[in-house]
Amino acid sequence: MKQRTLLAAIGLIAAGAIQAAGTHAADAKTESLANTCNACHGMNGVSVGPNMPSIGGLSESYLYAVMQQWKNGERYSATMGRHFKGYSDQELDAIAKYFSQLPWVPVVQNADAKTLARGKEASERCETCHGATGGAPDDADTPRINGQWAEYMHLEMLKYRTDTVKMPHRKMRGNTKKLDEADLEPVARHYAAQPK
Amino acid sequence: MNLFNRRAFIKAAIAAAPASAFLTLPNNAHAGRKASVVVVGGGFGGATAAKYLKKMDPALDVTLVERQKTYTSCPLSNEILTGHGKIEDLQAGYDGLAKRGVKVMFDDAVGIDAAAKTVKLKSGTTLKYDALVLSPGIDFNYGAVEGYSEHLANTSHPHAWKAGPQTLALKKQIEAIPDGGVFVLSVPPKPFRCPPGPYERASLVASYFKHHGKHKSKVLILDANDSFSKKGLFEQAWKMHYGGMIQWVPGAEGGKVTKMDAKSNTAFTDFGEYKADVLNIIPPHHAGAIAKNAGLANAQGWCEVDMLTMESAVQKDIWVIGDACIHGDLPVYDAPKSAHIANTQAKVAAAAIIAKLNGVPAPEPFFVNTCYSTVADDWGFSVVHIYRVEGGKLVYIKEAGGISPITMADEAQLKLQRKLESRYVVGWFKNIMADAFA
Repeated sequence: MKQRTLLAAIGLIAAGAIQAAGTHAADAKTESLANTCNACHGMNGVSVGPNMPSIGGLSESYLYAVMQQWKNGERYSATMGRHFKGYSDQELDAIAKYFSQLPWVPVVQNADAKTLARGKEASERCETCHGATGGAPDDADTPRINGQWAEYMHLEMLKYRTDTVKMPHRKMRGNTKKLDEADLEPVARHYAAQPK
Repeated sequence: MNLFNRRAFIKAAIAAAPASAFLTLPNNAHAGRKASVVVVGGGFGGATAAKYLKKMDPALDVTLVERQKTYTSCPLSNEILTGHGKIEDLQAGYDGLAKRGVKVMFDDAVGIDAAAKTVKLKSGTTLKYDALVLSPGIDFNYGAVEGYSEHLANTSHPHAWKAGPQTLALKKQIEAIPDGGVFVLSVPPKPFRCPPGPYERASLVASYFKHHGKHKSKVLILDANDSFSKKGLFEQAWKMHYGGMIQWVPGAEGGKVTKMDAKSNTAFTDFGEYKADVLNIIPPHHAGAIAKNAGLANAQGWCEVDMLTMESAVQKDIWVIGDACIHGDLPVYDAPKSAHIANTQAKVAAAAIIAKLNGVPAPEPFFVNTCYSTVADDWGFSVVHIYRVEGGKLVYIKEAGGISPITMADEAQLKLQRKLESRYVVGWFKNIMADAFA
């Protein structure tokens, strides 16, 4: 009886090991793939460059959707579209899974009180989807933006505000265009300063 | 938790192997002692390799041999030359790697005994290795331009094609050019480090002239080649921002500089002579001396490698990465010698080394290149390359990559595109430096 339990336990462990090995089999390739992202997006998807976004801890569906949109030309990018045309859907899926499983590490950037106050006020229209601090977005398709890089967010808003540039999100385009140009930086600074 | 620890790696490798292999442990010839990896050269390639070796397998004994205590990045050094930023912003030390457990030795690797698997250092120390990573960068063939020399490079005629004191020396010379003066830049035959680099330098020198009241000054590029990287993008920018200030003389029209005279500051080509106020000769170069002396370079001076692993094509257990190696059998502009390519080569080599030490096949390699050039305020552009290894051959994925668009739907879009990429340079730089040194 004891022996049977033990055998059963070993069986379970073995099954677990095979499963773990199976999971990690994807990881070896994914890890190699994901390592190439680090050069621009930082170790573990935490960027240290002011206009490169952190990507670790963003939701899987957001990451996958954005990469697909770039790949298919549905979303304008200065650089990334030229990257993703070189990857299979499976690879994009693996990249999205990999980075979504990492923790979101906000890079809190301080700004002066006046800028922050102005940003908070002007970001009211952003709140509906991104939340008051950007840390708890409405749904998985909306990215977290608390502690995201301010300059990156500012530049992204410039994309939405340029009419002839193809961007997929009507609401986002409408709302960024309604912002006063002088409010773009304060709004970006507001979210960049949020720890949570 | 490190997602890619050694056990996970081995497990993954086992899982990837045929089913029968699952029952036996990988053949680890190094059981009982730590495997030793020596990395020679602490630039973008070597520093990244050392870091990722340690990251992928913390049990490895990793030693980095580097001559200088402070590294100065070549990317962005053209900006420093022309007064944008401080050279300190381009520098990094090796404390970050030491904290990760890499043994950093400030020494000079002077010889390799591939049979004994040892590296000899200038200080007299001999290091034994199981795997050797060479990332020696480039050395110059001064003799190719008659009259030029290493002495001149370090004194009156800096090439500044390795960033550091020469960058600052050349900067002073550019600042001293009188209005109406000529900056002559000589470009060596390809392949050379940073293919768009000379043309970016020409652009930024022109920008310096424009912003410092030297409107009558000129930049003359004497080129040994008949075309260049991102040519359409550069020519568009020159026309828009520096109308008439920059002149390019291709090799076919007598651009190849064969001789220089330091006293009169004159460059000579087969077609004529060009007097300069500042004469900036970029001499032809080849793989760093250590790799050449070890017999790893081909007749042209560069090291061939197996693109699946980055292991030398002529000597097993030596991996050559960075500017010193030949990145596949590709046309030269499809395989630029860039920091970004060195970064991905380093990661491929690290994974392949750990696989080999554990007796398992190397994982599929991924190589990427992103290379930005800044040419004016809010005016930058890039080239992207995505590669695969198919049937042992490095392939450039043509559906992806390529240069930034030259023309776009309207002016607003074009300005946005150029502005974004002029900013991305900085973010890219900070992250790739941290990826190597932090």
